[in-house]
Amino acid sequence: MASAQVIKRAKYKTTVKDPGTAGVLKMAWDRFIFTPNHPNSASNLDVEFRFIKGHKNTKEGSNKPPWLNLTNDQGGSYIFEFESYPDLHTCRDFVGKSIGRSGETPTAASGKTDASLPDEQISTAELELRIKLLRENSELQKLHKQLVIGGILTEAEFWATRKKLLDRESSRKSKQRVGFKSAMISDIKPATDGRTNKVTFSLTPEVILQIFAEKPAVHAAFLKYVPNKMTEKDFWTKYFKAEYLHSTRNAVAAAAEAAEDEELAIFLRNDDILAKEARQKIRRVDPTVNMEADQGDDYMHLPDHGLFRDGGKDIIESQYELYRRTLAHDLNRHAAVVLEGRTVEVELEDTRTVAEALAKLKRVESANEDSDGTANQGILERIARITEIEDLQASHGPPLAPLCIKDPRDYFDSQQVIAVKAPAAEGKKCNLSSREAYGSLRDSISQTKQMGLLNPVVKTKDALQVFNALSHDISRTKYDVGKNPQDSVLDKLPSTTKEQLLHHWTSIQELLRHFWSSYPITSSYLYAKVNRLKDAMSQIYPQLEVCSLLIS
Amino acid sequence: MKFEIEDVTVYFPYDNIYPEQYSYMVELKRALDARGHCLLEMPTGTGKTIALLSLITSYVLSKPQSPLKLVYCTRTVHEMEKTLAELKKLHDYQVKHLGPAARILAVGLSSRKNLCVNPRVLSAENRDSVDAGCRKLTASWVRALAEKNPGVPTCEFFEDYERAGSGAVLPPGVYTLQDLRAFGKQKGWCPYYLARHMVQLANVIVYSYQYLLDPKVAGIISKEMQRECVVVFDEAHNIDNVCIEALSVCVRRQTLEGATRNLHRMEQEIDRFKATDESRLRAEYQRLVEGLALRGDLRVNDTWLANPALPDDILKEAVPGNIRRADFFLRVLRRFVQYLKGRLETENVEKESPVAFVASVTNQAGIDQKTLKFCYDRLHSLMMTLEITDTDEFLHIQTICDFATLVGTYARGFSIIIEPFDERMPDVQDPVLQLSCHDASLAIKPVFDRFQTVVITSGTLSPIDLYPRLLNFNPVVSRSFTMSLTRDCICPMVLTRGSDQLPVSTKFDMRSDLSVVRNYGRLLLEMVSVVPDGIVCFFVSYSYMDEIVNSWNESGILKEIMQHKLVFIETQDVVETTLALDNYRRACDCGRGAVFFSVARGKVAEGIDFDRHYGRLVIMFGIPFQYTLSKILLARLEYLRDTFQIKEGDFLTFDALRQAAQCVGRVIRSKADYGMMIFADKRYSRHDKRSKLPGWILSHLRDAHLNLSTDMAVYIAREFLRKMAQPYDKAGSGGKKTLLSQEDIEKMGDGSLNDMLY
Repeated sequence: MASAQVIKRAKYKTTVKDPGTAGVLKMAWDRFIFTPNHPNSASNLDVEFRFIKGHKNTKEGSNKPPWLNLTNDQGGSYIFEFESYPDLHTCRDFVGKSIGRSGETPTAASGKTDASLPDEQISTAELELRIKLLRENSELQKLHKQLVIGGILTEAEFWATRKKLLDRESSRKSKQRVGFKSAMISDIKPATDGRTNKVTFSLTPEVILQIFAEKPAVHAAFLKYVPNKMTEKDFWTKYFKAEYLHSTRNAVAAAAEAAEDEELAIFLRNDDILAKEARQKIRRVDPTVNMEADQGDDYMHLPDHGLFRDGGKDIIESQYELYRRTLAHDLNRHAAVVLEGRTVEVELEDTRTVAEALAKLKRVESANEDSDGTANQGILERIARITEIEDLQASHGPPLAPLCIKDPRDYFDSQQVIAVKAPAAEGKKCNLSSREAYGSLRDSISQTKQMGLLNPVVKTKDALQVFNALSHDISRTKYDVGKNPQDSVLDKLPSTTKEQLLHHWTSIQELLRHFWSSYPITSSYLYAKVNRLKDAMSQIYPQLEVCSLLIS
Repeated sequence: MKFEIEDVTVYFPYDNIYPEQYSYMVELKRALDARGHCLLEMPTGTGKTIALLSLITSYVLSKPQSPLKLVYCTRTVHEMEKTLAELKKLHDYQVKHLGPAARILAVGLSSRKNLCVNPRVLSAENRDSVDAGCRKLTASWVRALAEKNPGVPTCEFFEDYERAGSGAVLPPGVYTLQDLRAFGKQKGWCPYYLARHMVQLANVIVYSYQYLLDPKVAGIISKEMQRECVVVFDEAHNIDNVCIEALSVCVRRQTLEGATRNLHRMEQEIDRFKATDESRLRAEYQRLVEGLALRGDLRVNDTWLANPALPDDILKEAVPGNIRRADFFLRVLRRFVQYLKGRLETENVEKESPVAFVASVTNQAGIDQKTLKFCYDRLHSLMMTLEITDTDEFLHIQTICDFATLVGTYARGFSIIIEPFDERMPDVQDPVLQLSCHDASLAIKPVFDRFQTVVITSGTLSPIDLYPRLLNFNPVVSRSFTMSLTRDCICPMVLTRGSDQLPVSTKFDMRSDLSVVRNYGRLLLEMVSVVPDGIVCFFVSYSYMDEIVNSWNESGILKEIMQHKLVFIETQDVVETTLALDNYRRACDCGRGAVFFSVARGKVAEGIDFDRHYGRLVIMFGIPFQYTLSKILLARLEYLRDTFQIKEGDFLTFDALRQAAQCVGRVIRSKADYGMMIFADKRYSRHDKRSKLPGWILSHLRDAHLNLSTDMAVYIAREFLRKMAQPYDKAGSGGKKTLLSQEDIEKMGDGSLNDMLY
């Protein structure tokens, strides 16, 4: 124990907004005492650390003053404002240690399944994760209840052996990326205040990203004009003006407006970049759906060829085609972008960064496409697969997804049943006559006579294989034992006893693991732990005896 | 598997075969033996293509002495790719079992645009520019010029191909367009000319209808084919429309303006030639006197178009004297264009027969029928003489000459209709002079005459007796097959009412009703939440689809639909539609699920399959009738009534229902596949409409499913999907086998098979 006591000047605040009472904070090993400078002040404090459940403090470098916030087990908190960060840090470290110490004493254990432990700083996210794990896995929960709540292991020790579990959970979480919303952007309805003609659109970075992804021209224009030529606000105002013009479906008006304002025209015109992209993409389209190839082959599409108004065809307005954008076009584009998914990894904060990240991504993509020569091969294989008529022939190894086993017991049970049945079935098949059997035996004896005994009798490789297979089974016995109705001794026991036995088994295993991991005992802490573990294990033995008595 | 049909050993690349495939082969073999034409209807999803291919190839293999050739016509390039992929599988199988003796050469043929590998030419946007770009580099006079002057660009692929001479051949194998391009690139040979050359030698040729039906193309590609050919028209339910389109021409103001410009330029060219190289014009004159037209002395890369549909006398006869000289011919064309301009200035709709039209041309412009007839060939001879390479600029005058030739050739089966505006948009002046063909048999006649066996097959050829009348031929075999199903894997329904019990229909007077639009929307919304993977919706027209989707968007139904599935739409822009379709498939592949909005007479309905998870449900919104007020349609109906005694109403219903059946029929690929079909219009419940659907749909249309409302349909869909999710016995249970193995085939002679089937 480094320093038995810390004394600092600090202000005590009951709430964050409270200006605070200046005074002296004195921390001893089991309690802290706050004495205000003004002797009349009511905020005299004397709190034992064992009531403190956690602590928080402001970070250095943030523009907040150095605060330390101690939470007690009633949910209340004590806030101290220090004069400097070094002061704060000294106190925080001291508090950390003190709380840890008080937590070790079993007095804190109160039987409720509170997963948090005072001796470590864990984020709420991690806490939630642990609770989630416990909730999902009843076996773990039971173990946790017995060992941690029972005070044999601390929370930290318990979870330390399960770091993998935690890591996997958390990494899985971070990998999930959010895609685009299915709803179209045009669904952003403007908010009107009802009195004037003004409409307000609210844009979030997410929406902006979607607009950029769906409309490369807008994206390019943004990179070009903002902020050199116009402000971001002007840019979006223009954009929505163009959108409004589109929504009126008045191509003539749109054309007129576009003629006056060249920037507006960018939004109104059809997207050249898209058209270029489309031309590129069409080369890689599955040839069995490529209708564009028809157009190259179809002599019917020649102008003035065939029947013009035969009633089968529709009329096309070609006027103002440049400024006509249809809902169909928007829908197709939107669905394509949603299907592609969001690929920008940056934090969605600033429009500029979003725009630039997207541009970078596009460059990478186009570079990839240029070097992509294997795509055609893939397409050909796919066509070959699709053209096959599936039920006319036996399926050749359908591509199955690997099985994910949630409860290993179910899986191994089913495997074992198969394994057990197989030799039995074989046994039925071979009904050799004793004569034949004798003959075969004699043959093998004569063979051995001729060749001599192999030395060693069993090849090392085979032996190793057998050994591995057997020891592999051993590691599984837990699952095999106790569940299979025909083969387990445990099944002769009443189910409650069986459950109990299994539970004891897991807990002993856990305890042993901790026990051996504590060696060599280098500190008093470990010594205490080993003792605790030893006691706990010795307690289990009589329980087992009781069990056996009950059965017999 | 390998089995015998009479004296032919059939190699079939699968372990099992459907009984209907087997009997399809038997019928087909009968037609081949009889050397006659045949008409076969077999439901989609029963492997028509592979049955056909394996029987014909096996037939040829078993009779090595016969030079039988297979010409397989598809409607679209993507169907061509699919056919070639199936053929590839079959070919691999046959080679595996028979060794190198089974090797055949099969090529797909398409235009330059789809085959060219020269990046300079390929950068052009459309087919005509690619054609012209190619001609600019490969025409004989350009190459002659390049020999003298190395600065003139040529196409290195074509040069290498020419240099290789007769050594430039494709080794045996099956070549898709992609394979041809790859081969051409690797060898440095032009794939287009190589493929065209190989057409003469190939055992199997796959190309689109136009190469046989359109006289302008058929001349170059197909004229040297021998009589011993089996010509197959796959997906031929629309063949009559293709035929009449191939012989129809329309002339608009733009056409005439363009033609005037073209004539002006040709005049300048002639003047230039007169000044520099008059001998060339004289040589052409000589050639025309001899009646050679374009044949014989011209090289393959220069060949223009010839006209097998036109009577032979054009080829033999000398070109009439008054148009032999180039400037005379231009004057004739100028007068003709002027005359057409005058005709377009009409206020009223006019309808005329070709005979009357030619008479009035003779009277007012002084051009007689024989002159008109020769216009097309004369123009091309002239363009060749003038060494015009940018042919895409001269499309307008080509159209005019095309028109003149057709009018001059056919006295019946056509009519000329002049319309000042479209009735649907009376305020937009857009006069059109339309030469419309009514008789589908005209274009297809040379095909029936020239080739030994013509097979017309499709999933929908009902009523099957109508097609021989429309196309004017006598099939030796004409059969319609039903589908034997292992389980009820198709579920057609007729939906007549929305969930509010109000009727739904696209009848003209009620299609825009709010209640109809809403009920259609609710139907789709209910379905997207129940049906997994892909859903396809067909609308009666682009304009109706636009209207209804916009109103769904405004009422928020579209947004709700998008919460369940992504939405893709067919547009009039082919590139966009193709990409949308590709994305749709990917959305279905990745499990996201999607809805595809399409048009019943659009490009997608024509040949894209929505099998397996790409289409678990098809909704046909309305009955896709043609626009019945169209003058052209009315003229055709009149012709059909007078010539074939087909009632107008009957034909319209037949046409609409075959279209609808075609749309919904694309969901099934095999008997393991399953799909639902909803006919959402109250008129489908009427017997006269419904009965025109093909038999294989009708046989699954239960009486209880004839008059449904939305909620009932949703219930049925749920039940159906649940049932389809259960495992089943693929080979079929009970007395009826729906899947035959090698054993089954061997066990039964023909007689017992037929017992089992019917």
